[in-house]
Amino acid sequence: MSTLSHRPASTEPMGAAQGNGAQGLVGLSAPRVDARAKATGEAKYAGDLQIPGLAYGKVLRSPYAHARIVRIDASRAQALPGVIAVLTGDDVLDINPYYGHAIKDRPLIAIDRVRFVGEPVAAVAAEDPQTAAEALELIEVEYEELPAAITLDAALAEDAPRLHVTELLKPGLFHGLGELKPQPGNICYHHAFARGDVEEAFAKADIVVEGEYHFPAVYQYSMEPHTTIAQWGDGEITVWSSCQHPFLVRAEIADLFGLPVANVRIVVPYLGGGFGSKSYTKLEPLTVALARKARRPVRIANTVDEAMVTTRRHGMKAWMRTAASADGRLLAREVRCWFDTGAYADNGPRVVATGADAAPGPYRWEAVKVDSWGVYTNTSPAGSYRAFGATHLQWIGEAQVDEIARRCGLDALQIRERNLLRPGEAVRPGGKPLDADLIGDIQKVAAALDWGTPKPANVGRGLSVGLLAAGAHPVSTAFARLEADGTATLYVSSTEVGQGVRTVFSQILATELALPVERVRVQGGDTLVTPYDRSTGASRSTTLAGLAVQRAGQELRAKLLEIAARVFGLPEEAIELRDGAVWHEGESISYPDLIRAHFGMVGGELIGRGEVRPEKGTGSYAEGPVFWEVCIGGAEVEVDPDTGKVTVRKAVSVADVGKAINPRLVKAQEMGGWLQGLGNALFEEMIYDEQTGQILNATLFDYHVPTIADLPASFVSTIVENEDGPGPYGAKGVGEGALAGATAAIVTALYDAGVRVTELPATPERVWRWLRERDSAAAGGAQSARE
Amino acid sequence: MLRRFVIHEPRAVEEASALLEAHGPEAAIYAGGTELLVVMKEGLAHFPHLINIKTIPGLDTIEASDGMLRIGALATHRAIERSPVVRDAAPVLAELEAQIANIRVRSTGTIGGNLCFAEPHSDPATLLVAWDATLRLTSRRGTRDIPAESFFTGLLETAREHDEVLTEIRIPLPPARAGTAYERFKTHERPTATVAAVVRLNGGTIEEARLAVGSVGPRPHRLRGVEAMLTGQRPDADLFAAAAERAAADAEVIEERFESVDYKRHLVQVLSARALATATQRAHPRETGGD
Ligand SMILES: Cc1cc2nc3c(=O)[nH]c(=O)nc-3n(C[C@H](O)[C@H](O)[C@H](O)COP(=O)(O)OP(=O)(O)OC[C@H]3O[C@@H](n4cnc5c(N)ncnc54)[C@H](O)[C@@H]3O)c2cc1C
Repeated sequence: MSTLSHRPASTEPMGAAQGNGAQGLVGLSAPRVDARAKATGEAKYAGDLQIPGLAYGKVLRSPYAHARIVRIDASRAQALPGVIAVLTGDDVLDINPYYGHAIKDRPLIAIDRVRFVGEPVAAVAAEDPQTAAEALELIEVEYEELPAAITLDAALAEDAPRLHVTELLKPGLFHGLGELKPQPGNICYHHAFARGDVEEAFAKADIVVEGEYHFPAVYQYSMEPHTTIAQWGDGEITVWSSCQHPFLVRAEIADLFGLPVANVRIVVPYLGGGFGSKSYTKLEPLTVALARKARRPVRIANTVDEAMVTTRRHGMKAWMRTAASADGRLLAREVRCWFDTGAYADNGPRVVATGADAAPGPYRWEAVKVDSWGVYTNTSPAGSYRAFGATHLQWIGEAQVDEIARRCGLDALQIRERNLLRPGEAVRPGGKPLDADLIGDIQKVAAALDWGTPKPANVGRGLSVGLLAAGAHPVSTAFARLEADGTATLYVSSTEVGQGVRTVFSQILATELALPVERVRVQGGDTLVTPYDRSTGASRSTTLAGLAVQRAGQELRAKLLEIAARVFGLPEEAIELRDGAVWHEGESISYPDLIRAHFGMVGGELIGRGEVRPEKGTGSYAEGPVFWEVCIGGAEVEVDPDTGKVTVRKAVSVADVGKAINPRLVKAQEMGGWLQGLGNALFEEMIYDEQTGQILNATLFDYHVPTIADLPASFVSTIVENEDGPGPYGAKGVGEGALAGATAAIVTALYDAGVRVTELPATPERVWRWLRERDSAAAGGAQSARE
Repeated sequence: MLRRFVIHEPRAVEEASALLEAHGPEAAIYAGGTELLVVMKEGLAHFPHLINIKTIPGLDTIEASDGMLRIGALATHRAIERSPVVRDAAPVLAELEAQIANIRVRSTGTIGGNLCFAEPHSDPATLLVAWDATLRLTSRRGTRDIPAESFFTGLLETAREHDEVLTEIRIPLPPARAGTAYERFKTHERPTATVAAVVRLNGGTIEEARLAVGSVGPRPHRLRGVEAMLTGQRPDADLFAAAAERAAADAEVIEERFESVDYKRHLVQVLSARALATATQRAHPRETGGD
């Protein structure tokens, strides 16, 4: 059992101090506002909700990776007592049933054809879940199997079966990627950029490192699988769903069912984790269609194996080469990567583009060329997962940097100090220049690893640094009510997915209003009530929605000052807000008294609004990102040379967050991200049967997610606060960087221990094989040297 | 999801046996349920009748006397891990039990359930085979004792008849100058390879050696060829290296989803060398300064 030594970078004052001045609660580790409700079980998740007349849905899923549906006979299921409705493709032909926020390539239920094992073919609504499950067994489906392309190589082959007529696909509502062009074969999306003359740079280079690499499909595993309740009635749709982006779901549902957005209401209770698996639209269209047919509210709740085929992380194949001069100057990099997006695009195009952005790494190149493709395969669709793109490519680029360092006699820290970008330098052609001090950050990682000190045999230390385009589209709004009794209610649509967003927003509003945190209540997302927010993801909520919250608070603050100036008969500058009251020198009026003075009664309320939108331009992908999230980490690993088993002895994270509004929550993000990074590096892989397309490890018995027992023996986390973020108080997002940073740091630490990782996860068997290859190559080398 | 079933709560082993007989293949014994209920939830098997044996008194007793450690089939992993009797008489078993699964499975799952399910990736099965333990089976027809090694007949298969209840695991306590070592390699939820070694010394030579391997094949089994090459020899690193190599070759290994056959053979070799060295060391603790 590992012990956890948590070394704080600075002492953190805990608890909700009284607000004094505008920075009052910022930087304090206020206790989570939802801790009690979650610990006692009072917190409500989608699976806990009960509404009158609720029916229970179950989904019949395809056993084939690719097949034509010849016939479906649901009559026996329909006749089972307790069954309310059976939905098949025939029931959605009155609408355009294709959706997808990037590409509208996915029918909400299979129509004539299935493209992956697990694709919904029929859905049953019944009086109880048991009956619904029994009804599924009574549905007869006749399939005619079609040739399937399970792997990237199979899908990219000349004569590969085609999944879609890509020429006919329509762009989705929110692809945000400029013009989407139809692609040949099974290519779903292509993103490319180039700068400088790559061929020339490679021709003149002293050192070239080149390789092919593989990253597996990974399951986002959140404790709560997707759960949705839908209610259809009278031209209105109400959905309660475990979703991260309620407004984007609302738009897609409205579009699918031909209703104005105002007639669609999405309510988001607490989420039991998401990690990207609940971003965009998942179970909602199917549940709405089933409720429409059943004329009853219906709940569909995924099991773990169903969640696994609902969305996953993209598997990827990459080829990369890096050029450098003999003295360790990085010159050029060329990358080609293919992302397996499964049967439908989901968020694939964005992942492809973000992967391309991450591919060069944050170095000063003379020339760069990146081509990144999304590829359709007959497997379950792939979408977002924490730190997508960066996690895929950072470990590869960083391993090549370390190989170059070795060849030119530098150490891993030195080569980075020489080549890392500095603040203000361009990261990619167009878009935001670097907004972080990467050299300062990497030196902190090195210090935490006791860089340069002797280490035992079979132990390796590694550093890694990269960038992730974060923030998504910068549109968020919030409003706040200051009630007559001096308490505040905040309306903002960020999803509390476990990250602590309600706590942070409470701190921000409490700070602006000089109130204790306990007097602020944060409403969960409900599109009928809370105002527009693009999404909860891309490390954006504190930065963007938080800024909207701050602005709402500032508007309220301005109103309080204006009223106080009137009541005191003084200029606003002579008044300050403190401890829930307005003050002039020793004299104070509490907010309730002030509001009463304003309205002339005990009642009324003040309202503040905050809006965030692109500051210049359109906020497009090409002009972005909102900020570059620093993906950084350090690891010390030990390799058992007999078995190949890897133990992480020390985990290091540096959270370059601009300003830590709640340091404890920042560190929780770092630790959670690190553990997931450890899973991505060492354990996690969805294994598809290459013939049938079945997932061979679709249970948590067979798919190992890191647990408390896998925690590194020591975890050191440092927070960097340069106040260089675009969010409130100079904050910028956190939460994803640690994952990509950790995965890559484990790889570079393994490199330092003599293991050349070319495929993740670095399972004991793979490590053992790489060590054997190295040893036999060394023996071969010794042999030829002797000859 | 779990389909509907009836649960029976017998008060005696004979009653459980009668229920098994009456309901035939529709019935299964339900102990901790950590395997059974998962299999049923996954839809891999369905038993309309579950016979809960936790209502039968006395099936979880742990005691040692007359050179025999007796563990009731209903004893949970947690109970065995924490039992002062086990810690005293068979500390290797207590350590093994402490490593199984996680605290939730250990406090619900029973040793009997582990053995009767015969999932090949089992820790206790491998050790019990090396220890020549016997398993006591009871039905209305009577009681019989089977050596652990012949109890496991294949992947998820045992010598237990449908109407028999496993009631007790009987472990002959190792004689003086014998040492036991248990080695496991685990990266998934269950172990990938397990090896148990028992070494008894006489003077400077190995009087008896037993080596059992599990998890890599359909069932745990002894490696008698390896045992023969060790018997009568002086223990040293070269001998163990040769024995471990032979163990890797002789072990019954099957292709599965995860690790390959050659890697599993390699693991058997690594674990065998480690287990033999440790068992030998434990066989003469005084000489090596241990205790
Ligand atoms: C997450 C997880 C991790 C695990 N890790 C490990 C590990 O690391 N090492 C390891 O060795 N094991 C491991 N296991 C297996 C674990 O030891 C077993 O699940 C547990 O011991 C089974 O006991 P039970 O009482 O729950 O059996 P049940 O599920 O109740 O029964 C299992 C089977 O045995 C039959 N049965 C049970 N008791 C009797 C009896 N007395 N007589 C006749 N038939 C009986 C039942 O009918 C059923 O077929 C793991 C299991 C899980 C779920």
